[in-house]
Amino acid sequence: MNKIFLIAFLFIHLNAFSQELFVFTEPASNMPAKSIGIRDMNALMYEKDGKLNYHNMPELMWGINKKWMVHAQGFISNRQEGGFEVEGGSFYAKYRFFSEDDIQSHFRMALYGRYSFNRADIHQQEIETMGHNSGYEAGFIATKLIHKVAISSSISYERALDNKPNYTFPPTESNSAMNYTFSVGKLMLPKVYTSYNQMNVNLMIELLGQRLNDNKKSYLDIGPSVQFIINSQARIDIGYRQQLYSTMERTAPNGMIFKLEYLFFNAFR
Amino acid sequence: MKKIVILTVLFFVAVIGNAQISKAELTATGLTCSMCSKATYKQLMSIAEVEKVEPDLNNTAFIIYFKNGSAANISDIKSKVEDAGFSVGELVVTFNFNNQQAENNSSFTINNSTYTFMDTKSATLNGDKKVKILDKGYIVEKEYKQISKMIEKYPSYATNSKNVYHIKVL
Repeated sequence: MNKIFLIAFLFIHLNAFSQELFVFTEPASNMPAKSIGIRDMNALMYEKDGKLNYHNMPELMWGINKKWMVHAQGFISNRQEGGFEVEGGSFYAKYRFFSEDDIQSHFRMALYGRYSFNRADIHQQEIETMGHNSGYEAGFIATKLIHKVAISSSISYERALDNKPNYTFPPTESNSAMNYTFSVGKLMLPKVYTSYNQMNVNLMIELLGQRLNDNKKSYLDIGPSVQFIINSQARIDIGYRQQLYSTMERTAPNGMIFKLEYLFFNAFR
Repeated sequence: MKKIVILTVLFFVAVIGNAQISKAELTATGLTCSMCSKATYKQLMSIAEVEKVEPDLNNTAFIIYFKNGSAANISDIKSKVEDAGFSVGELVVTFNFNNQQAENNSSFTINNSTYTFMDTKSATLNGDKKVKILDKGYIVEKEYKQISKMIEKYPSYATNSKNVYHIKVL
């Protein structure tokens, strides 16, 4: 019951809070058509025994047209013994199927899918196809922008497969889950625009939850972050992910996220 | 017969009219942030006929200047804004007219685009005149619904065909 109050409290307070470029989730909006984006996500996650896991996830993004965009991503980490290793990769596609624009506002809906492969050991009940599990995810996102505030929510189905070649998914564990996210963000600076060179500062807060389908175990995390937009083209995100509660086994739920992104407009004409 | 006469007259008006687009003032919708504005700016700059784009970030507006004597096509503006991920909320185009007769439901054609006057006072147009594009996709949805109510007076408005525009002289 306390959890519900905490969530309600957060929602009420955070509605005052970002823009639609979230740190822990993707918005329903797409990147510009014919553009290329590069992104490097760095996560420093604390293991329970005090060890610090470093995950590096370089990503290439392509806006094919106004409706479709695709990502290809690699997963590198030092979580396993033996230091840094390329553990896997993923392909992601997003299709924006609904878009309604008005003056400084919009409402968008999109469907997305991800297929990931990973050869690391399977070490927790949480299913995470971003850097831990081989598997796939299919989901729906809705994003609403009202002037300087963006609100986004998503729901997805995630299914874990064997981490080939060495690790089969434990048959006693739930191999599928539903994920829920809720994000709010606000453009804090500048108050008034004068040029594309001004630095923009966005603040956001995100809630990330998962429920395993077979054993009903779940978790909920909170992810506050600050985002700097430089030259209207580069993005620096600094975020922290903190578990609010969990009934499932997770080895390193809490930690820092540091993300860099650069957009090449009109890479293809 | 009467129709043929009218069409012939319109044809000549079109040819004699000889209007040219020099500038377009665009308000894009669906965005606030500077990254979104820059994406739109870059898309607009990629139109071959565009000489210069002046962005107004606070109003998500852009003034688009076309190269002298170029055959600017306003549908390019719409498709580029949509490629950036947004929509056209308002498009006001500056035509340089030369003895153009403005009459509701009459049309002129330049660069394979036909422009039909709508909700405009009859006049002979000369020099730079601003006209607002009233077609779907060039105005916000609410305004489109309003204008659609005038459809009986302007039957061609319902057709929504490519390269056929309805304009109001401002």
